[in-house]
Parts: sequence; structure tokens; C-alpha cells
Amino acid sequence: MEINWSAVLGIVFTPVIAFLVGVTYGGLTRRITARIQNRFGPPFYQNILDIIKLYSKESNINHGVMQHLGPVFAITASVTTLFFIPVIKDSPVFTNFSFNGDLIFLLYIMVFGSLGMALGAGQTGNPNSAIGVSRGLSQLVGYEVPFVMALVAIMVQFQTTSLNDLLAVQDHFTKWIIFQSPFAFLAAILAFLGMMGYAPFDVVIAPAEIASGPPSEFGGKYLGLMLTSRSIFTFAKLVLFTDIFLGGAHDFITLIIKTFILYMIPVLTGIVFPRFRTEQSIRFFWSWPLFFGILAILVVVF
Amino acid sequence: MNSIAYILLITFAGAGITFIVHHLIKPLRDIIAITVAASGLYFVIQSLTEKTKIVFGIADFNIIWGNTPYSNLFAVLIAVLGFLTILYARDFMAEKERLGYFYMNLLFVIGGMYGIVYSQDLISLFFFWEVMTWSSFLLVIYCCKEAQPIGLKYFVFSAIGAYSLLIAIVMIYAQTGNLELSNILQNFGNISEVNQIVIAVLLLTGFGVKSAIMPLHVWAPDSYSISPSPFTALFSGALSKMGIFGIGMVLFKFASHSGYFSYVKIILAWLGGITALLATFYAIFQTDAKKLLAYSSIGQLGYIIIGLAVGTPLSIAAALFLVILHGAFKAMLFMSVGAVYFRTGTTDMNSVTGLIRKMPLSFVTMLFGIITVSGVPPLGGFAAKWMLYESLIQSKHYFLVIVVFAASTAAFLYLYKLIFSLFLGQEEVEWSHVKEVPLLMLIPMLILSAFVLVAGIFPGLVLDPISHAMQYLGNYGFKYETSVLFNEWGNKINMQTVINVIGAVFLIAGLFVTFKGLKKTRYVTTKDIHTSGEIPEENENLTYAVDFYKPFERAIAPALKASIDKIYTAIGNNLEQAFDFLRYVYTGNGQTYAMYVVLFLSLLILFAELIFGIKL
Repeated sequence: MEINWSAVLGIVFTPVIAFLVGVTYGGLTRRITARIQNRFGPPFYQNILDIIKLYSKESNINHGVMQHLGPVFAITASVTTLFFIPVIKDSPVFTNFSFNGDLIFLLYIMVFGSLGMALGAGQTGNPNSAIGVSRGLSQLVGYEVPFVMALVAIMVQFQTTSLNDLLAVQDHFTKWIIFQSPFAFLAAILAFLGMMGYAPFDVVIAPAEIASGPPSEFGGKYLGLMLTSRSIFTFAKLVLFTDIFLGGAHDFITLIIKTFILYMIPVLTGIVFPRFRTEQSIRFFWSWPLFFGILAILVVVF
Repeated sequence: MNSIAYILLITFAGAGITFIVHHLIKPLRDIIAITVAASGLYFVIQSLTEKTKIVFGIADFNIIWGNTPYSNLFAVLIAVLGFLTILYARDFMAEKERLGYFYMNLLFVIGGMYGIVYSQDLISLFFFWEVMTWSSFLLVIYCCKEAQPIGLKYFVFSAIGAYSLLIAIVMIYAQTGNLELSNILQNFGNISEVNQIVIAVLLLTGFGVKSAIMPLHVWAPDSYSISPSPFTALFSGALSKMGIFGIGMVLFKFASHSGYFSYVKIILAWLGGITALLATFYAIFQTDAKKLLAYSSIGQLGYIIIGLAVGTPLSIAAALFLVILHGAFKAMLFMSVGAVYFRTGTTDMNSVTGLIRKMPLSFVTMLFGIITVSGVPPLGGFAAKWMLYESLIQSKHYFLVIVVFAASTAAFLYLYKLIFSLFLGQEEVEWSHVKEVPLLMLIPMLILSAFVLVAGIFPGLVLDPISHAMQYLGNYGFKYETSVLFNEWGNKINMQTVINVIGAVFLIAGLFVTFKGLKKTRYVTTKDIHTSGEIPEENENLTYAVDFYKPFERAIAPALKASIDKIYTAIGNNLEQAFDFLRYVYTGNGQTYAMYVVLFLSLLILFAELIFGIKL
């Protein structure tokens, strides 16, 4: 059997790059937030140090099998999502398995991790975890609806459900879908705010309210794995949005620029807004984002 | 004799024998019931390879039984679920009373369903339909006195369905002069278009009652939740599919002639969508596990109806795939909840909690069940959802697909609530005595769990018989491979790759987290948790289950207020008054009923020419 070395390279390096970029973005966010709040803030590599520290800890206790597997579910979802997204356009190394899946699959695999995490958090018996999960799932229903509307509009407009086909359509920057289908972009980017979980949509972890919710009983290697997963997942979502709306990227520098700009939207929104209550958050997603979503579909249909 | 004759004979005779044996030699009863169901399964498998037909005449009518690829699909579902249900019932029902009655009716239901799918003429179809309805009604009221009003509700709706079917059958006979399916299908196009529509709508109403489409669903939640768990698994898994069986026949065999049917189909598709969404919302706020599953079942059947009504090859494939899959996963879920009931004596989600370490295999079954319902890869539910979404988008049902998607995302809420409140969460002292259910109850659950896994990785294996059935329904072909699905735009999803990637990553991460710093760890109780320095007492209740989705309820309160509070209580009140009125109608006196029948018949004869266009 002939081994496709560029594919192997992609499988090995994509998660590593995703992790490094994601974790650096996380560190930068802490720094930026601090500067805006007129603090000094930690160095940008602080999150990497945190994760290394967490991995080197030992656990003396366990809460049962599902709690043990919760973070495994989370990272499985993150890495699988990443593998089915073409990271670099037309690259034989970084397209990975993106030809074997499509947008509907991505929609579902993206919730796989949260649901697995929810099961793990459920077994710990901490009421705060349960409250967090209840809020998270409720909010999920909120933002998935406008997000799907945006995707349906795009899928119908370009008659494809494949990310690679969408990338092929956007061969010039005037043809980026953000310009071709602006309402879909508006609906999706508002849903994206909820997806990223920064304020005002941080009802799930809600620090100082429900003691960080679902992860509250996770420590050491479990928390380390969850933070790793979160970094990879952040990167995967950013690449997904770049691929759909901003024409993807031919090289890593373009990719970094595009994803960073995208990433700053939820981060900067988060800094200036206080937290919604859960029902306010859901209602928000069913107001303007939903309106833009309907508009996007109507524009395509007529 | 051929297999179909054996199937019907063995099942119906077996029902009678089981009842008699119950009163003579009790221990033999279970063995006979299991043997009957097993031989039914054996002959159904035999019948798959042969194409048979039995014809005999009763009073000028030809009674025809035979099998088609379409009926084979449903027969296998009935046979497998019937067998597993009876296997499960062995231990579940062991301590109950009137078991002869229970097993006889259970076998009658199974036999009635076999009869429905094998009927090739409308007389026997209606006969078996009534057998199924009657015996399932007797099982709904099996448990206790409280079941009687619920049973009445079920029966009234079944009667509405039966009358619609009957009127449709009489109209068909009046128009075509024949009740054999093959003849009717040939001549159906010659009937005037108005009559075609009326007949189709009447048939759809009749079949729709059993599959609980809104607004004909009212009987379902209560009937599902009060009937004994083994039967509920069959009720929701197979019996509701008989409605789907009929709707499929009507939509593709009868209704392919007139241009007006496209409107009927659109209305039906939207009814399915509304059913899916509203049933899901109701399911979220249930506190009883069986009632939650009942609403979930109504919602899932909504998806199937959508798939059939949209009518593109991919959507029909999705619907039939869901028929098989829903049979499996809803049986799994009802059995798993039944297992909880078996050990704790309640299905109240506010009181049962933290059973995962006591009933690990029931937990695994429920986990597989909810993953399949939610449609998350890699289990079978994903393949079904994928085909449904793709077909809806490609057949230009853009807003319907949003409704469906909202419904299936909201389904995560009730699914998580189900598994969280029964199996996860705080471990209470009250349930410390609970242990895993007996082996005979576990076997059906685990077999079905294995099935949904296989259906997820190799959807093609399930799609093979489905594509044969679709050939019969009207030459619908669609492209698929054993583990690769294609949509109409040529995009694909390779389930083999998906499972490989998920499996590999899961294994690596799982091994890492297990062996990283591996040492003996101490299991801490669910009271020993992060509570900001406070130490909860042993008897302190930390369970978070009551009003689990309060925020969501608040968010959709305006919508629910409009629909539930006003319209629904109004309907409810009116229905109550209607039932009050029914009390005058259903006096409980046999003579009154006889008078009704005579009155109805005389009315039919009086207005026969007006209604059916025939002179009697």
C-alpha cells in the first residue's frame, strides 16, 4: 500500500498548528482585555504555561467513567471538526479529510463535543455544572437557528454543501461570499458571537455566578485536555468562517490575518458588554440574526 | 403452504394458545409466547426471498395476502421488535397479573400488524387494522382504572381514523367496483380528480391517527405513557409505523395521478414540520420520562411524514431509513426507561437520579439511544438526518428545513434532560438498593444498540432493502454506497472516514487521559464537590432537576403563551365538553350502541347515492 505522505503530514501537523495558534489567540485575548481595562495583563504565552502546568498535575480522585470521558469527547469533536475543514486552500497537506464530509456534517460534529462534555459534567453531580449545561443547551438552540439559515442561504445560492466547492467559487476577493451574500454573513457572524461564548453570551461558564459551570469539577489533566480542545476548536471555527465567507487562505500568513480579525469581533464585543441572562440571549438570537437569516434566504430565492 | 400463511396462522393461533396455557400451565406461557414470536421472525426472514400470494374468496370478495418489497421492510421491523419485546416482557412482566390477557393481546397486535402489511385487498386491510386497534386498546387499559379515560381517548381517535378509512374504502369500491389493491391502483387514475383527493385525504386521516400527526396526536402522549413498557416499545416502535406504511402507500401508489396532490403533499409536509417542532417543545417541559419519550416519538414521526410528503428519492429514503431506525432507538429508549421503572418503580425524572453506576448497561443503551435521536455522528441517526436535510434543501423547502433543524436542535434539550435526570446527577440514598436489570431484559437493549451503531457506519446495509421498497413505490432510484451517501448535487459524506477519524482520535485521547499519570484514584461521592467551601450534609438535596429548562421556558414563553395557554386550553376545554357530551352518546348500554349502528347504516343507505354515487 502506498502511503500518502502529504496526507500524513497534514494529520500530524494540523492539530499542532491549530493548538498553537488557538492558544496564542487565547493568551493575546487576555492581554488585550487587560489593556482595555487599564491593567497590565499576563504575557501572551501564559495559556501555554497554564496548560503545561495542568498536564503535570496528578489526580487522586475520580468522579466515574463519564466524567473521565467528557474531555475526551470534547477533544474528539474539536480535532474531527478540524480534520474536515480545508485549512489551507488547494494544499495537498492541509485539506485533510474535507472531501469526505460537508457542511451538514460539520454542523453536527461541532455539537458532539459540547454534548459529550455535558454528559461528563452531569456525572460529577455538581449543581452548578447542571445549571451551566441547561443554559448552554438552551443557548445552542438560540444561535444554531440563524447560523443554519445563513448556511442554507449559501448552500442554495451556490448549489453545493461542500466547503471545497465554496472555496473554489471564491477565487477572487470580489467574489468572497461576505460580498456576495452579505445578509448571510450578518446572520452567521451574530450567531458566531454565541458560538464563541464571550460576553454577553458567556452564560454557560458565567464566572462569579455559577463557578464556571460545567468544568467546575474538572482539574489537572482533564482541565488541560479541555483547554487544549478549546484552543483547537476556536481555531477550527475561525478557519470554518474564513473558508465560508472570506475566501479561505492560500498560505498561513493570510490565514492568521483573516482569522485574527474574525476572532477580534467576539472578543472586542465581549469586553464592552455585560452578561445577558439566558433567556435574553436566546431572544437576541431570535431577533436580528433571525431577521437577517430570513432575508438571506429570501434574497436567494427571489 | 407458504411463509405468509404460516406467519399469520402461527401468530394468531399462538395468541390463543398462550391465553389458554396461562390458565393451565403458567410456566409454559412465556416459552410459548417467545416461541411464537421467534417463529414469526423465522418465517418473515424466509418470506424475504420468495414472492408469494394467497387468494381465497369470502362472499364474492377476493381476499389476497402477499408480500412486496415495501411490505417486507415493515414486516422485518415488526418481527424483530415483536420478538425483542416479548423477550423483554418475560422478566419485566413476571410479577404482574393477568399475563394471559397481556400476552394474547400483544401477539394479536403483532399478528394484526403482519396482516396489515401483507394485505393486498382493502377488506383484509381494514380487518387487520381493527384487530390491531382493538388489541392495542386493550393493552392501553391493561394497567389500572386510571387508564380508562386515556383508553377511551385512544379509542375515540382510533374510531375517527377507522371511519375515515371505512368511508374511503366504500368510496373506492363505489368508484372502481373492486377492492383488490392491484386493480385499484390500475384504475385509480380514472376516478374524477375531486374524488381522488377526497379518498386520499380520508385515507391519510385514517392512517395519520395511528402515526399521531398533529392535530390527530392528542391520544398519543397519555396512551404511550400509561401502557406497560414492553408494549410501549412496540407501540411507538412498530405500531405507529403502520400509519406510515399506509401514508406511504397513499402518497406514492394512489396519489401519483392528480396534479392537486402536490398541494396535499405540501400541507402534509408542513403538518409534519409543525408536529416535529411543537412535540419537541412539549417534550422539553415534561417531568415524566415516558411522557417525554411519547412526545419525542410524535416529533420523530413528524420527520418521517416530512420525508414522505416531500417525495424526492433522497427524502423518501431518509423517511424509510428513519422508520427502521426509529423503531430501533425508540424501543431502546422505552426499554431503558422501563428498566429504570422495573428497579425503582417510577419514571418521574424529578425523583430518580444518579443510576449510572448501578445500571451501567441500561445507561449505555440510553446513551446510544439519545445519540441516535439527536443525530450526532457516528450513530445511525446522523445518516437519516443528513439525507433529510439534503433532500429538503435540494427540493427547495428552505423554511421547512429551518423548522426541522430547530426541532432537532431543541431535541438535544429533552434528550440531555432524560439521561441526566435518570442516570447522571446526584446519587441519592433512596436509590442505593438499585441494581442492573436481568439478562433477558438486557439482551434486546444491547442488540438494538449494536444495530444503531452498524446502521451509522454502514447505512448502505439498511438502504439496500429500502431501495428495493422504493423501486416498488414508484421506481425511485438514488445513489449510495455501503458507507457513502450522496446528495442530489453530488456532494457526499463518507461514514467510514468519519468513524475512522472519530474512533482514532477518541482512542488516542482516551488512552492519553487514562494512562497519563496513571495511579489508583479514589472515587468521590457526588456530595464531595466544589461548593465554595461549604460542606453539604449527607441528606442535603443538591439535585438540579426541577424546572431544568426554566431559562428556555422563559425565552419561548411569549410563543408558548399564545399557543399553549390560549389555544390549547381552549381546545382542551372544548374537548372535555365534547367528551362530556360523548357520555350521553356512549351510555354504556349495549342496546343504545346497537341502535347507533342501525341508525348509521340506515343513514348510509338513505344517502348512499349522494355520498358514494351508487344505488343500493
